[in-house]
Amino acid sequence: MIRFLLSLFTPFRWFIEKMGADYNQFIRILELQLTMDNRRMKGIGNNSKKETENALIKQSFGQIVFGIFFATFLYIVKSSFTFYYFAHIFLMTMMAMMIISEFTTILFDTSENVIIQPLPIRGNTISLARNAHVFIYLSLMAFNLSVISVIVAIFKFGIVSALIFSVTIFLNVLFTLFLANILYLGIMRLASGEKLKNLLMYFQIVIAILFMLAYQVGINMVDKTHIQDMVLPVYWYTYFVPPAFFSGFVEAFSFNLFDIQHLLFIAETMIIPLVSIYLTGKYLTPVFNRKLMDLEQGDRASKVKVESTSPGLWYRMMIPVFIHRKEEKAPFNLIWIMTGRERLFIQSFLPSLAYILIIIFVQFFTKSFNYDELVQSNRYLVILYAFIFVSASLPVSLLNGNNQHAAWVFKTMPLLSPACYFKGFIKGAFARYFVPFFLPLSVIICFVWGIKVLPDVIIAFLAIYLFTLLFYYYQHPNFPFGLEKSANQSGTAFVKIMGLILTAVILGYLHYLLLHWFNFANLMLIPVYLLAIYYVNRVFIYKKITWEEVDEVNTYS
Amino acid sequence: MNHQSIVEIRNLEKKYGQKQVLHAINLDIQSGQIIGYIGPNGAGKSTTVKILCGLINDFEGDVTIFGKDLRTQTIDIKKQVGYIPENAVLYESLTPMEFMEFIGEMRGLENELTRTKAEALMNIFEMKPNLHQRIATFSKGMRQKVLICSALLHNPDLIFMDEPLSGLDANSVIMVKEMLIHLAREGKTVFYSSHLMDVVEKISDRIILIDQGKVIADGSFEELNRLSNDENLEKMFTRLTGNTNHSEKAEAFINAFEK
Repeated sequence: MIRFLLSLFTPFRWFIEKMGADYNQFIRILELQLTMDNRRMKGIGNNSKKETENALIKQSFGQIVFGIFFATFLYIVKSSFTFYYFAHIFLMTMMAMMIISEFTTILFDTSENVIIQPLPIRGNTISLARNAHVFIYLSLMAFNLSVISVIVAIFKFGIVSALIFSVTIFLNVLFTLFLANILYLGIMRLASGEKLKNLLMYFQIVIAILFMLAYQVGINMVDKTHIQDMVLPVYWYTYFVPPAFFSGFVEAFSFNLFDIQHLLFIAETMIIPLVSIYLTGKYLTPVFNRKLMDLEQGDRASKVKVESTSPGLWYRMMIPVFIHRKEEKAPFNLIWIMTGRERLFIQSFLPSLAYILIIIFVQFFTKSFNYDELVQSNRYLVILYAFIFVSASLPVSLLNGNNQHAAWVFKTMPLLSPACYFKGFIKGAFARYFVPFFLPLSVIICFVWGIKVLPDVIIAFLAIYLFTLLFYYYQHPNFPFGLEKSANQSGTAFVKIMGLILTAVILGYLHYLLLHWFNFANLMLIPVYLLAIYYVNRVFIYKKITWEEVDEVNTYS
Repeated sequence: MNHQSIVEIRNLEKKYGQKQVLHAINLDIQSGQIIGYIGPNGAGKSTTVKILCGLINDFEGDVTIFGKDLRTQTIDIKKQVGYIPENAVLYESLTPMEFMEFIGEMRGLENELTRTKAEALMNIFEMKPNLHQRIATFSKGMRQKVLICSALLHNPDLIFMDEPLSGLDANSVIMVKEMLIHLAREGKTVFYSSHLMDVVEKISDRIILIDQGKVIADGSFEELNRLSNDENLEKMFTRLTGNTNHSEKAEAFINAFEK
């Protein structure tokens, strides 16, 4: 597989050398990176290799499903130009999201520099290999996402058109990669060292939120009948929109249209991606590399600062609420401190919080807004149950980090059962990152709908707490922040989100039904959830998380 | 001297898959001693230490520590044992104080006690100013010092060290050596795995040499010396582990360069 992928680069040898890279070294580095991706193991479990391969398949499957959704939407579009235009926009958006959420870590990864930099390899070769590495994954993703659209294109516009469409998809990937490079260089100009890393983190969070917002609002605003007959007019600025010239290119060759307008599109499509990738290799990557080296150098010095030692008021308030057993306090405390400092955690968790806000926003502000009507309705349940996203994102966010070999300390402690660690961890994260967001919103809800909804707020809180615990206890008991985030890991998110939405709907609906059954019927849920939480925390976890289970997925060296 | 046997190892065997790394190890270790556990790379040193600390649970044979069975009474044993691992990997985003507070609390120490002890121990290593800085900024030697301090917090009776001196500067090495001798005088037992022959030779009451998972020499340096007439531990080590043709190998090494 790796051999095959690498052989695809052979025809472009001259181009790679032109950009100032040593071709043989380039291929070697790429081979190394791909081999490492292939072997990246999750813990020491016996079937760990199988697991990562599955992740790639699952991810591809999720993307294809996504592609199907989009292709059905495209199917109703009549104009070929509009069809390809939307297809390219969709692709670019998805790739941009992927680069920002997944590949930033790869582009900024300096860990292999220790090995590679002392060798006589030019910086260009390294960066180019790094870009090529991202490019391979992006191409795979582009393939998965658009394979169905290409099939649809065959039926609608003929096989030639579909083939040319495939070529432009490839060019689109190159172009998007170039844009990503420019974007990151821009950010790197703004800051350096530790600051830059934080800036990147917040940038990623903001972009992720923006994409989610655009998607939610976009889906809600699309009017299907309108799109069907939509023909995009070509204005002077259309020539500056990348998806437009890609689709103009396809249209020109599929229908033999070679007027001025199409010739312009053709010229753009032929020249811009190639020139941009040439510029990336020749001029951008050297700058990128230099900046990256500064980043590494500046790292140590800028981090030396004294951390405050006294725990905050919020911490002292949460301890008696969540901790009733002495041995859970230290893990609670540990996670409380670390979640505030682990970049990967913040990066993956904050967007999910924002997602909740977006759901709420879309619920209330895209439709006609009427305050009186709102107060009469039960729509506060939507707000409350939207928080169930935390139940999935919090446990997952606790996994990733760069502390692969620090888990030995947990094993050396005199503990009969590791359960108290995991109880402390999830409670700490929950208390620090869920309660402070849920509480103010609950206050607002009680203010708008009246104090009579307070039991509902409590029920929703208990339901979400219960599900957070269940999600955490059901995933592999890896000690926190010890799993490497790899390029092919992010897979199952789609399936998980679907399952979650279903859970939220079921729980919310159950709650809603009870509200309408008879007065105070909903109160029955409080003891039910309380008992369930008690059972999960006092009985279930001790059976589920044992040292055998924990030893299976963690290494102590 | 009235030494009692606190570690008894009977026919200890360990396999990783098909590969057998420990072959029927039998040892008795008396309290108040410094045991130097030496052997070439891959001899099974770290594996032995990890088994004795309870990091590795599946092994063959019987191990008793403080008269308790390692398999069934692991928790009681862990309470009295300190462990300093080979690779100084810690949670980078924590400060030494936070790390030690965690360990102290998990071991049931009072927070106040943990803090004063941590300060005192770190002060010995001249690291008091670093107590509240993140471990990510520390050099390897500094991390090693944090590890040593955190392993001693609960005043263990038996201390396992896997290469405790790696990365330490000369002053710290001398200090740790002195510290070990003091600990042994107080009746504590130190089980010490290392490559550094000269250190082992100087401070160990007893030297255990293993190779390919087997004990091939055991005794004080004087005893071993009497039997074999090697002028130092290094010579004995190379003779016993079967690598006597160093100069030939070095030559082959040079030749490999010239090709």
